[in-house]
Amino acid sequence: MTALSADDLRRAMQHADPRLSRFDPLSRIICFDDFDRGFCGWTQLVGNYEHTLDAMLPGYAQHSQSMLSTLPAWDFGSHGSADGSYALKVAAKAYKGAQNVTIKRLTFRKRGPIRIEFYFTFKPEANELRLSETDVRSIGFLYDLQTGDKDADAWRVMPHLRFLNALDGRHLQKWQFKRKTTPFKNLGTENKTVTHYHLSPEDWEDIPGGEQKLCYNEIPTKVNWHYGCFDFDLATMQATGFRCNDRVFDMSTYEPIRITGMRNLWCMLNFGFFVESDTAKRSFLYLDSVCVSGDF
Amino acid sequence: MIPESQAAVVARNETWTGSAATEPYEAGWAREAIVFVRALKSAGAAGRAHVELSPDGMNWAPEGTTFPLPDDGNRVTYARVAQFGCWLRIRAELPPGSSVTVVVTIHVKA
Repeated sequence: MTALSADDLRRAMQHADPRLSRFDPLSRIICFDDFDRGFCGWTQLVGNYEHTLDAMLPGYAQHSQSMLSTLPAWDFGSHGSADGSYALKVAAKAYKGAQNVTIKRLTFRKRGPIRIEFYFTFKPEANELRLSETDVRSIGFLYDLQTGDKDADAWRVMPHLRFLNALDGRHLQKWQFKRKTTPFKNLGTENKTVTHYHLSPEDWEDIPGGEQKLCYNEIPTKVNWHYGCFDFDLATMQATGFRCNDRVFDMSTYEPIRITGMRNLWCMLNFGFFVESDTAKRSFLYLDSVCVSGDF
Repeated sequence: MIPESQAAVVARNETWTGSAATEPYEAGWAREAIVFVRALKSAGAAGRAHVELSPDGMNWAPEGTTFPLPDDGNRVTYARVAQFGCWLRIRAELPPGSSVTVVVTIHVKA
């Protein structure tokens, strides 16, 4: 019998664990969030403000708290999640262009490779007896990162990636990224708080070969769960890979949003998921589970 | 495991006039809820809030609980609810000429 390396042993143990066997985490698991265990630290992305909530940008003011959902459908009842009853639900309101974001806020210990894996699905509110496959504009995820306070570089870096499902009724089904945010705006009078709208609808760019026809099913209430995996290197602040189900995508042109480091966000490691409506109908993103891992 | 608990802000800095409602809040895992309405500012006579239930998050029926909307800045009103199924919201009715700007928070517990 040959000796097992520590890495082989770790992988064997993960593969024997039904909770982790469907993930391919790097050597250290930063968080493993199965929403059958609760909210696991995922909360509402509230916009910045000072002195008055009226200062919050409209893009953020529309956000609301995510929910634990059994994906209940009016025509057959609860759908359930991929391996249990509950999924995290992010709901965008019922108007064209509405968005909502759920976020988890950590800091990192080492600037090295990190990986986020997630099982997800999406649907519009099933208030019509038709397929409604072009009512969800997009679902996506983002990191909000910043270098350490003693690092030679001082960047805030925000990798964004979305699946543009539909736009203006056209079923486009393609992955996109963005490298631009809006200009910063000062809030209030204390020179401490600023804001910008990184999820503005402008400046999304196609990933080469990024078209993908995801399983959507045949009526507006049936869902199928998909797997996503995004690799990023905190050392270079560049994406190193993206997979969704059976497809591996070319990330050679991918760029994150990159802005000057801010005075109070050092070592920030935030992850967010978002959903956008393309019609006057609520849109829902569901996350069964999320596994974030790193090499450190 | 400690039972799940959540404080969810379901409306923030929204100004209500006439008839209004919070977005559907799904919490089938929860056995009880308290819905708090805090006024940031208001004008005119106070309206009333009505707790509503739904089989599907789309069609709503009154649960029977009603409570006054707060009629002054930073005043808070609330209602306790149990056995609400999967879905919960409040509907507000305000008299003509009245308005209230609210933060609505739902506290739910397993």
